[in-house]
Amino acid sequence: MATVTIDSLTFTYPKRTHPVLDNLAVTFPAGKFSLLTGVSGGGKSTLLNLIAGLTPLPTPGAIRFDGHPLAEIPAAKHANTVAMMFQEPSTQFTMDTVENELRFALENQRMTATDIPAAIDDALNFVGIAQLKHRILMQLSGGEQQKVALAIIVAMNSDVILLDEPFASIDPPTRLTLLQKLMTLCTQQHKTVILADHDLSGYAPWVDHLAVLDSGHLALLSAEETQERFAAFTPDRLRLTRVTAPQATETACLQGTQLGLFSGDRELIHPQDLAFFAGQTTLITGPNGSGKSTLFRALVRLGHYQGTLTYQGRDIQKIARKSYARQVGLMFQSSMAQFLNVTLDEELTLSQKNGNHAYFTPERVTQLLDQLGLTQHRDQVIYSLSSGQQKKAQLLCMLIMAPQVLLLDEPLKGLDLASIQTTMQILTSVQQDLGLTLILISHQLSGLDGLVTHHLRLMDHHLLYEGATE
Amino acid sequence: MNPTLKLALVLIIALEISFTQVWTVNVALLVVCFILMIAYRVKLKRLLWLTLVPLFFATALVWSLSLQGSASSHFLIVIFTRMFVYVYMGGVFTQTTEPLMLTRSLEQNAKLPSKFAYGFLAAFNLLPKIRTEVATIRAAALMRGQVLHVWSPQLYFKVILVAMNWSDQLASAMASHGFVEGAPRTHAVTVPLPKWNWWVCGMSLVAVQLGLFWGLP
Repeated sequence: MATVTIDSLTFTYPKRTHPVLDNLAVTFPAGKFSLLTGVSGGGKSTLLNLIAGLTPLPTPGAIRFDGHPLAEIPAAKHANTVAMMFQEPSTQFTMDTVENELRFALENQRMTATDIPAAIDDALNFVGIAQLKHRILMQLSGGEQQKVALAIIVAMNSDVILLDEPFASIDPPTRLTLLQKLMTLCTQQHKTVILADHDLSGYAPWVDHLAVLDSGHLALLSAEETQERFAAFTPDRLRLTRVTAPQATETACLQGTQLGLFSGDRELIHPQDLAFFAGQTTLITGPNGSGKSTLFRALVRLGHYQGTLTYQGRDIQKIARKSYARQVGLMFQSSMAQFLNVTLDEELTLSQKNGNHAYFTPERVTQLLDQLGLTQHRDQVIYSLSSGQQKKAQLLCMLIMAPQVLLLDEPLKGLDLASIQTTMQILTSVQQDLGLTLILISHQLSGLDGLVTHHLRLMDHHLLYEGATE
Repeated sequence: MNPTLKLALVLIIALEISFTQVWTVNVALLVVCFILMIAYRVKLKRLLWLTLVPLFFATALVWSLSLQGSASSHFLIVIFTRMFVYVYMGGVFTQTTEPLMLTRSLEQNAKLPSKFAYGFLAAFNLLPKIRTEVATIRAAALMRGQVLHVWSPQLYFKVILVAMNWSDQLASAMASHGFVEGAPRTHAVTVPLPKWNWWVCGMSLVAVQLGLFWGLP
């Protein structure tokens, strides 16, 4: 058990004038689950990194664990005191397999060699992933990787568990399992859990007071205000009302014949026929690791597939790469992958030069930037933006390119509710004006209602449109 | 055989044959390496690569040296076989050693600071990711109307940027799993260094020395 006390913490990034955290004071009680939310770029990740000791503190005593600053705790005991689970599942491992990563963590804690195998099995069993023990980490799906990350934290027996948007790319069932495990850790093992998230669905039964981080200050909401915030995420609001089954009159733009997908030896999609329809917005949902992103990679010729894929009747392998890339574009799940330049302004200039500059006039771009709250970041290095800001910048860059078919892989990842609504307005109006075909993968359904017209579900290695029969 | 000892043996022999010109020893080493690779069931395709690539370069080198006319045929044979020995010994080492075991052995037997040992391992694990990343970057550029060739500086700028980002993430990942620079660690798997390893190592060195003395003019 450990209480985390933060006292007059001010933090400014180098070469920046505005502090991200401004004279922050808060106490996270021991053995409790605390939920932290706030706008994208509001400093949630910064705060968690500071608590975890991954970013050096400006004043050593500002964050204390049961009264002791982390600097006073011997380095070997750090992982015992505080551990962190990251937003990006794949970037938190050093070793190749699940077992080796767990060994690595326990060796660091100087656990006796003979105790290690039992500790590994216990942790894997607690999370319910004993079957993953010998698997290669990079071949696991994002959800499985997050489960492994949790198992490692369990094995290390850390008192304070920090989670930075751990469910951003995770399907609802996996998210629920992980949440329940975290609750067990809180109530039975009295761990202090601090979790940052934008998507507030599923927390209502467990969280009394929501902590909101806004422009450097942290406010604890009252019980009523908290429930009000949660209400925006209840299943009612998440229903997609405009979804219909594809009609016979619709024309297919992308078509797969006996399309099959594999990851290594694992079958993801059993060979089947599949069509995406022009001018529609199709949402693809399905469990983590079921092959949604792999499908997108196949559609833009970045991955292998079985069968044939055609675009407007032509085999995509026979279309020149350059011209195909201009007609079918992908907004990658990781924003980093999309950017080619240094500053946001340079990225926008590139898109405007090669994209649809008749529609995206400088005035329109300026206006869109303003709507997305990115105006004052124009000259900033793009990699120093927060993950939510990067996501918005990435979307804008791809929209300006205006490919006939735009694939969006988790376009709402890391966005707060207000940003989601703005993004959706922009997407809807641009789609209507330019007649684009949008295909998107999203675990997060809030805000999507006005946009989505077809819903494709991936279940048991098979893709099926909602409302359609075989 | 213990990975650290094996690495040391390979390096010492390679160093010795670099400064001596006995082609019979080179050929003997080649035969031994070949037998070892067969014994450890190295894939035929890999074996073929390990033979054809140095064959091309060694032939080119010998051909260009012979055109100069000043090199003796003895020297040419030595150069030709030496190149093969380097590649084959490297092949034996890499094909029979797991990177993780080498890391553990370097940490435990050679007392290398764990920072280096695990840094090396992590870099090794990243190699396949780099290839996918390059393909992704080129595709991303095409979608933005920009063609990145293999020789485009922008491609390398981006790869380096991504790699730097990975190294930051890796440092965070290691720290968050309790890794502390210079702190003592326990070892879940101990890499054995049995007596016979030393004997094999010693005998091999003695045999190479004898061969070299024998063969020196």
